[in-house]
Amino acid sequence: MRQERVLGYALVSPVALFLTALVAYPFLSAIYLSLTEKIVGYPAHFVGLKNYATLLESGRFRAVAWNSFVFTAASIAVKLVIGISMALALNNVVRANQFIRGILLLPWVIPTVVIALTWKWLMDLFRGLINVSLIDTGLISSGIHWLGDPTLAMASVVIANIWRGFPFFGVSFLAAMQTVPQDLYAAAEVDGAGAVEKFLHITLPSIKSVVAIVTLLSTIVTLNDFSIVFIMTRGGPGAATHVFATYSYELGIQSQRWGLAMAASLASLPLVALLIVGVVRYLHREEE
Amino acid sequence: MRKPMPTLAAVVSVLILVAVFAPASGAGKLSLWRLKTYIPPADKILDANAQECAKKVGVELAIQTYTFDDMWTKFTAAIEAKTLPDIAELDAVGPARLANLGRLSDVSDIVAAVSREQGTVLPNAEGAVKFGGKYYAVPHYAIPLLLFYRKDLLTKVGAEPPDTWDEINAVSEKVKKAGIQEFPHGFPWNRTGDGYDPAMSLLWSYGAAWVDKSGKFVGIPKGPATDAIKLVTKPYLQDKTAAFDYLSWSGSTNNESFMAGKITFTPNGPSILFQEDSTQHPLRKDTAIKVMPKGPAGRNLALTFVMNWAIPVDGKAQKDAKAVVSCIMSRESFTRYVNGSFHQAVPLFGKLLESDYWNTPDGKVIVDTVKMGHPVGWPGPTTPAAAEVISSNVLTDMITRVIVDKASPETAIDEANKRIKEIYDRLAVK
Repeated sequence: MRQERVLGYALVSPVALFLTALVAYPFLSAIYLSLTEKIVGYPAHFVGLKNYATLLESGRFRAVAWNSFVFTAASIAVKLVIGISMALALNNVVRANQFIRGILLLPWVIPTVVIALTWKWLMDLFRGLINVSLIDTGLISSGIHWLGDPTLAMASVVIANIWRGFPFFGVSFLAAMQTVPQDLYAAAEVDGAGAVEKFLHITLPSIKSVVAIVTLLSTIVTLNDFSIVFIMTRGGPGAATHVFATYSYELGIQSQRWGLAMAASLASLPLVALLIVGVVRYLHREEE
Repeated sequence: MRKPMPTLAAVVSVLILVAVFAPASGAGKLSLWRLKTYIPPADKILDANAQECAKKVGVELAIQTYTFDDMWTKFTAAIEAKTLPDIAELDAVGPARLANLGRLSDVSDIVAAVSREQGTVLPNAEGAVKFGGKYYAVPHYAIPLLLFYRKDLLTKVGAEPPDTWDEINAVSEKVKKAGIQEFPHGFPWNRTGDGYDPAMSLLWSYGAAWVDKSGKFVGIPKGPATDAIKLVTKPYLQDKTAAFDYLSWSGSTNNESFMAGKITFTPNGPSILFQEDSTQHPLRKDTAIKVMPKGPAGRNLALTFVMNWAIPVDGKAQKDAKAVVSCIMSRESFTRYVNGSFHQAVPLFGKLLESDYWNTPDGKVIVDTVKMGHPVGWPGPTTPAAAEVISSNVLTDMITRVIVDKASPETAIDEANKRIKEIYDRLAVK
């Protein structure tokens, strides 16, 4: 019995070591650094919550936090709607189903850098395909400032993010929809249920766990997104699209203030933790 | 069942031993990190020179490159991990930052040797590499930021090449009114060198530096800075000769927009000339350069894009590294590089500037620009604090606060001064 226990620990230890080295250590190290005054090249000095207090006092950080919220909430909301629509449509497609799924997955498999550069070019004031097309068709007389107007710039980075992320939603929801027993739909039809009723009372309740998990995962990824914003706008114009990741980069790499940068990047942690706890509790309740 | 454990332990132990005792780099091997410029043929010459020098010294040289955008990502990781290369080409603020950390070797001997052969270091380039009487980097070259303009469009609207910031605004208005271009004023106050370099030149030309001659923080003076900010925000807010999109440009978008014929003016290094020459661009004949504009306090240009050779103390083969740098900077090797740089690399040792290579209309403008330049943190020396003012985009943020957030210039200046003071309080010079 004892030998088996030892063997059990031995078998688990590589994974435990791996997780400690690659997940726990960097995470705990980041938390520690956020509690220090750490400038690149100098030793870290423990300052408690000073970095967080500095950030809270900073109007710039508050703007960054608001931008991050808008960027994430808008992206997730639209990705949810498009993802469900995509899944519903594909669920009913019989011919060329695999091919269409493959095509729709493309945005998700293309490297983010390529996506960001492509959208940046599409939205260029002078040479962008969108403006050129709109001007050539006579719909507008001069180019739209997609990346220059503060509101439109935020909308533009959100659009690029949605384009990259919606296939993940669609494919996940489709997989969940395909596990829903067809008998339920047949029974509902006998009871006279229409498409909307079937969606609201059968499909949605059946896939809600997947919806919750996909939304949670995507929220975490979107909240920490760097490439799209950095490549398309560098956080500009001004600080109109500056989000947690680009702000942390500015603080950590350009200004060499690692302590403050860590605090800025961890600032969203309580929100993410709350979301995770909420989703896990919800799933647990559903399971019971 | 018991056998796997000792086997696994043995394998792990061997791996650990290999990792611990493996040499960081083999004997006779040096690493060199350099900037990847917008002039690939010049980069090729530099690499060939460096390899030739390594061969002479009897070492193997591994060259890695970085761009202006990722330089500090690479160096930040290396500073912390104590894995800086044997030879590092650093930007204008790199020597100040690394020397202040005690991570650079004294290279005064190399500078003295190069000076004997090529003349003394230009006084305006010294502030970026000489601290406490010692040189911590050898000035390699400067990439001056010039005012690019379209001479054909200026002729069309009957305007002379502008000499002041006001004149750029006025000519831009004329071009717009003539219906030639919608947004001719291509000055991007963004988070790239095309933003912060002109921002310094602008403020200094209005007498609005943030430090005194000793490098001590005194704050951006509100009166002249307000005038300067009002002037450069006017094209965005009133004249509508500049598009808000310019504020989100990357380092190369202004080159592309200029070469696409969409803007009349833009600040840039000589790389536009190279790109137009090498592609036989139709706008080459209409492209002209001028020294950046002057303000009420004269012409006080920033010399931001200066590259310097440094020998980090991390390297174990200091002598070999110094020998390679000395060889790269020898007259024969360096002249070959400069003359192949399409006027992008301007020497910072006096005698080479007298060469015939610079005796062309464009060459003269380029050399004049470098001679008139001041280091980051002027009128004081370059310091880690001055470096951070630039790298944290304080100056361009000040301008965009007025353009994008519609803050008053006075409020934007107050905010900038608060940020700069915090930086100077935190980063005292050792």
